[in-house]
Amino acid sequence: MSLMNLLRLKEIHEIPENHFVVIHPLDDVIEEKVNAASLGRMPMTTSVRLSLMALRGYLAIMMLLVLYHVIDLARGIGHTH
Amino acid sequence: MQEKVLTVSIAGEDVAQPIRGRLVRNKWVYRILTFLVVSGPGLIVMEADNDAGAVSTYVQAGAQYGTRLLWVLLLLLPVTYFIQEMVVRLGIATGKGHASMIYERFGRWWGLFSLVDLQLVNFLTLVTEFAAISLALSHMRIAPQIGVPIAAVALTLMALTGSYRRWERIAMFLCLLDLAWVFLALKLRPSFGEIAHNTFVPGIPAGGLSSNLVFLIIAIVGTTIAPWQLFFQQSCIADKRLRFADVRWAQLDTLLGAVFTITVAACMMIAGNAAKVHGLTFSDPAQMANDLHLFSGEAVRSLILLMMINAAVLGTTAISLSSAWAYGEVKGWPHSLDMPIRKAPGFYLTYVVCVALAAAIVLIPGAPLQLIILGVQVLAGIMLPSAIIFLQLLLNDRQMLGEKFVNKRWNNWVNWTIIAVLFLLSLVLAVQVVAPRLFPGV
Repeated sequence: MSLMNLLRLKEIHEIPENHFVVIHPLDDVIEEKVNAASLGRMPMTTSVRLSLMALRGYLAIMMLLVLYHVIDLARGIGHTH
Repeated sequence: MQEKVLTVSIAGEDVAQPIRGRLVRNKWVYRILTFLVVSGPGLIVMEADNDAGAVSTYVQAGAQYGTRLLWVLLLLLPVTYFIQEMVVRLGIATGKGHASMIYERFGRWWGLFSLVDLQLVNFLTLVTEFAAISLALSHMRIAPQIGVPIAAVALTLMALTGSYRRWERIAMFLCLLDLAWVFLALKLRPSFGEIAHNTFVPGIPAGGLSSNLVFLIIAIVGTTIAPWQLFFQQSCIADKRLRFADVRWAQLDTLLGAVFTITVAACMMIAGNAAKVHGLTFSDPAQMANDLHLFSGEAVRSLILLMMINAAVLGTTAISLSSAWAYGEVKGWPHSLDMPIRKAPGFYLTYVVCVALAAAIVLIPGAPLQLIILGVQVLAGIMLPSAIIFLQLLLNDRQMLGEKFVNKRWNNWVNWTIIAVLFLLSLVLAVQVVAPRLFPGV
């Protein structure tokens, strides 16, 4: 039996004993997941607050540096032409 | 033999209900088939990362340093896996995309910041994808004014079928086409001893730790691990509705995807090495293909050009989808590839606008494409630490994930080490920009 045949899903009404049933996730019953929205915002523990503060500073500096570098490179290429 | 009738509970009563599936007797066949139906997001997210920018960066690395930087790729294999594996757990546990998770857990400011960042980097990257398509087409003597719009329409149709499975099958097919890079690498007759040595024995190429080398290594890191991948895979897992029981198969899918991607990336570097061996210099992979054909034949030339287009097409569909999913999640719109257009118009419109606008920009002449490609890779590498920090904080959110999906202690050690290395690489770039004389060879 080819792989394509094995992967061809059919309508199943009964599962005989000693058999396994392979179900595509999109054909399966929808699971109840974690409801993150009901939890609200993440508690601002010291580690979370520090991580976010460090991130703010880091991003501001890095974006400026990269912008400077790219402009510098472009100017260099412009001069060689 | 006793048979079990499938039932579902409707209004408190069990009702016989047929399901779509496949009955198998053998446990191993069951496991293999389950893996096959679950797999997809992992392979696609990894291989789509070998996009046009990646082709350019890897062949450039090969052309400048031969196979001496293969060890960098090997190091990136566990890095890329561990990052995406966190996304798998988060996506399966919550059934939501990364953008909505940041909105819900970190608030509107960070949510908006991440979304704008993502859309900006994604859009610039999309421009580079279409630039590569345009470049490859012009080398194939097909007018970009005709070829680029056709590619954009094909990319649009690919996602607009209203079937997740159809899109996934096409994307998987495009991923597997990348096996042609392995064939290409073999055809270019590399030295296997040298490849093995340079893969497993890290070393700095002749010339030392120059500014150019550091910039290139950061570009390789930036192209191998991209922020859009986090958003894409989590949304893709949510769209495919992967179940709690699918975690290990999704992790395996991600691991195999990482191995496949790094192998293909290494083959791209080997192709660049062939240009170095023949003393060729080039400004883009299409030119390399043209020059290489003198030594390796027309087949190699055509294959490299076609693979450039394939890489760009795969990258475009994945990146546009990560934008569309993220935007749909944040706006609260229906956002699924399994929905027809009339049920998720905003989601599909975002996808189409991303593709169409990027394609249109490329048709405006005069942009320094190679510079844009390298710039985007570096920009993505710089922005990645922020995306990973959100991911890391979310994966330590016990209140939300519970004990089953939250990071274990060893996960945190590995991931914080990865984050520290990414920060360090970004800082090296910063120092190189501010004080380039600290590096020899500038």
